Amino acid sequence: MIVQEAREERRRTSKKAEIVAPRQGFRLPRPIRRLQRQAPTIALRAVGELSTRLRDITGRNVIDLNRLMEVAQFVYQQRELARRGPNFMVDDFGFDPAWTESLLIAFKALYRDYWRVETTGVEHVPSSGRALLVANHAGVLPWDGTMIKTAVFTEHSRPRHVRALVASQFMGMPALSWFLRRTGQAVGHPDDTRRLLERDELVLVFPEGTRGTGKGFKDRYRLRRFGRGGFVSTAIRAQAPIIPISVVGSEEIYPMLADLGPVARLFGLPYFPLTPFWPWLGPLGLIPLPSKWRIQFHAPIEVSHLDPKDADDQHLVMAMADDVRDIIQRGLYENLKLRRGVFL
Amino acid sequence: MPPFSPHRVLVTGVSNPLGAEVARRLAPQVPFLFGCDKVDPVSALEEMDFVHADTRLSVIGKLVRQLKIDTVVHLAVMVDSPTEERSIHETDVIGTMNVLVGCAAPSSPVRRLVVKSSAVVYGASPSDPSFFSEDMTNWDKPASGITRDLLEMEQLVSEFALRNEHCGVTVLRLGLRVSEDTTLARYLSLPIVPTFAGFDPRLQLLHEDDAAEAVVRSVIGARPGVFNVAGDGVILLSQAIGIMGGRPAPVLPPYGRWLSRLGLKALAGVEMPAHLADILSFGVVMDCTRLVSELGWRPAYSTRQTMDALASGKNVDLVEPPSPPQEYELQVFLQQRRRRRQQLPAGRN
Repeated sequence: MIVQEAREERRRTSKKAEIVAPRQGFRLPRPIRRLQRQAPTIALRAVGELSTRLRDITGRNVIDLNRLMEVAQFVYQQRELARRGPNFMVDDFGFDPAWTESLLIAFKALYRDYWRVETTGVEHVPSSGRALLVANHAGVLPWDGTMIKTAVFTEHSRPRHVRALVASQFMGMPALSWFLRRTGQAVGHPDDTRRLLERDELVLVFPEGTRGTGKGFKDRYRLRRFGRGGFVSTAIRAQAPIIPISVVGSEEIYPMLADLGPVARLFGLPYFPLTPFWPWLGPLGLIPLPSKWRIQFHAPIEVSHLDPKDADDQHLVMAMADDVRDIIQRGLYENLKLRRGVFL
Repeated sequence: MPPFSPHRVLVTGVSNPLGAEVARRLAPQVPFLFGCDKVDPVSALEEMDFVHADTRLSVIGKLVRQLKIDTVVHLAVMVDSPTEERSIHETDVIGTMNVLVGCAAPSSPVRRLVVKSSAVVYGASPSDPSFFSEDMTNWDKPASGITRDLLEMEQLVSEFALRNEHCGVTVLRLGLRVSEDTTLARYLSLPIVPTFAGFDPRLQLLHEDDAAEAVVRSVIGARPGVFNVAGDGVILLSQAIGIMGGRPAPVLPPYGRWLSRLGLKALAGVEMPAHLADILSFGVVMDCTRLVSELGWRPAYSTRQTMDALASGKNVDLVEPPSPPQEYELQVFLQQRRRRRQQLPAGRN
């Protein structure tokens, strides 16, 4: 009895023990609390049981357990991320890798199930070191950028984040600017490209810019002008190989019938599209169509034999830009042939 | 050019906290230190000779010549100040012009000039690259009040540098500072911080100690040119608010900033200048590689550490509590006695 008292006393005066204030207020009774704790396990077990039963009855996989686990993982990750509060690091561009990776589950679902993306040649992307990825740009919203990012992160033997360059007018838009920065995008400015390449990142550029995304449905898979070849001179200066990418399928997600220029100017947008669904169906018109996608990464074009001074040679730069454009255009035609149908 | 060491240094704007700290750090390193401002200094009076002079008047030129000043540290540049825009323009542009005119005469003894500027000079806008290097000031953009004033001021300084080759000119573009009395710090320490909806800009901060150290180093280790000075790394605005223990409330509409500024003033009592509203939606981040490569010095506090220091209240309080009148009298007495003592041996020789 005396010994026990002494132990109690020692525990009370101990410096080691963390002093936890008793929780104030109403607490649920113990059995209910235990149930609360075990609820996820019980639910999982029940769903598993249900899926086996349904499979036995119907002979098909009615409930995909893997998919369910992914959703559970997504929710859990979001909770964990919310718990870290301000204690996380972003890089100098405002990129938060952990947060971006937690969102990838959603983009992976789009990649695999919605657009059924078939990716070839992803091994051309170096597993370390810098490279400049150049792709065609289409579809009214830049979904092609997200799919290229997802492709490199999921299909490559060494997952890497691709940093895309965004037109500066999107960086001025609320919500979008926040999302783009947080997921690792930078401003489409030669200075940003150089800095990212010097940090040995994979940089994705769309030289067509809004000319590509804003073109009508009748012009699909016809590449626009490739800027002024600025991406080539940046690649030469940074000694980064250029990897052309052809994306097929992005043209059909929002078939743009017309462009309302005055409305676009009113809202400060580069274009205001009219599609069969937008703006007639309101927000429902923003849902992209489930076209079949193919992404092809072409063999890298090395620039290491060139001198950084060659970047000022406008003739060479324009010739190289045209080469890249030809490779992408040819890749588009080949992949269009390989595709059985627009939505198949 | 032989290495020049500052001998007789004049610090303008010593009464502001940064000026006081610079004077305190310079005092043991230079033989003669003079300070001038239009209001009395609250501290650091003992180590220097204080002159009551307004930079907006031509008296500053006479002062420079009379005192045979060889190094001018121009810190009387208002960036974050509750005063109205008109007087900021007067101080920044007209005041700097006066100081430059005072230093410019062919017979002028001035060999070094250090001018304080700010990251605000770049002006935040979405079309800018992610990092500003020193040559990226935007002349063709319609700049808001203080940005325009600072640009004008820097142009005057660069013209001065071109015309007076015997005088090495250093311009320091200091990053945003969050000591207790800056607008940004007061904004961040609100319990519920209204932010612009849909924006979470990157912030780059500079600790007060590092700001003073940068000025002192550019006075001692003479390196002409323009330098960006800010801590390493960035933090997001939401992180900064979280560190301060507040809660971001994205309630300010992203368009029509002046309306939000009016609302903030009425509801929260925080007066947000136009340049700060831009910074809080688009952010200003500078590239400080030139500082590291040429001055060979890197701020001791990173952006994150600066914020942590502010949050834990460890940020060094530069302003000493205002001394009571008797103490002021005492300091004046001490200063006079020190001067008399200095004059005595000179008289014997």
